[in-house]
Amino acid sequence: MSITIKLFSALREALGESEFELDLVGMEPASSELDVAAIKAMLSKRGAAWRDALNQPNVVHALNHKVVFTDALVSEGDELAFFPPMTGG
Amino acid sequence: MSVSLQAEAIDVATEYARLVGDAPGAAVATFTGYVRDHTDQQAVTELALEHYPEMAQKVLDELGHSAAERFQLSQWRIVHRYGALGVSETIVWVGAVADHRGEAISACEFMMDSLKTDAPFWKREQRLTGEQWVASRDSDTARRARWQSVEVE
Repeated sequence: MSITIKLFSALREALGESEFELDLVGMEPASSELDVAAIKAMLSKRGAAWRDALNQPNVVHALNHKVVFTDALVSEGDELAFFPPMTGG
Repeated sequence: MSVSLQAEAIDVATEYARLVGDAPGAAVATFTGYVRDHTDQQAVTELALEHYPEMAQKVLDELGHSAAERFQLSQWRIVHRYGALGVSETIVWVGAVADHRGEAISACEFMMDSLKTDAPFWKREQRLTGEQWVASRDSDTARRARWQSVEVE
């Protein structure tokens, strides 16, 4: 099972990646119970920069183009994006 | 009843003519936003606008349909730019056609207040002191919240 991770704006810049596939095979908890918080915890293990960037209090999570809370469940093929508050208009 | 995400400048006259078409209805309201030349008393020389294309399209489509339903619009249009923008260039344009001025004006305000906080765009300003991501403003969040409190009533 894998999902697509996307990063935008200051998060993309701080982490030096804009998009990649994240393989979830063999992850704990079981893939069927993975939520956004679990993905954040997984990505935070990549190092201090990831931990700090993803755990800022104002980070927005969008699952398949819709803003969600961290308890939203993640499924095969989903697209999960992390970014700072939006500043368009 | 459509959204355009585009790199090129917004042709306001053409957008207006398309919005109104052959049947202007009784009330037409539009809003045009331009790149400002200063932020917090610091000169801004250029703006870079990053966006999340698929989500921006979806959010703005939903926003337009929501405005149409809420304010009984016969027509609406949202145009938002991305990429490199110079000072005083157009950045956003919204238009609404309704039977009465109140609905048309409110619809434009609702679309602008909502897209500011809900549409995935991020401004990066080139200032004399260097480049900087624009921080979200509490005043924008408060303006967005006004519409939510009305929704609950």
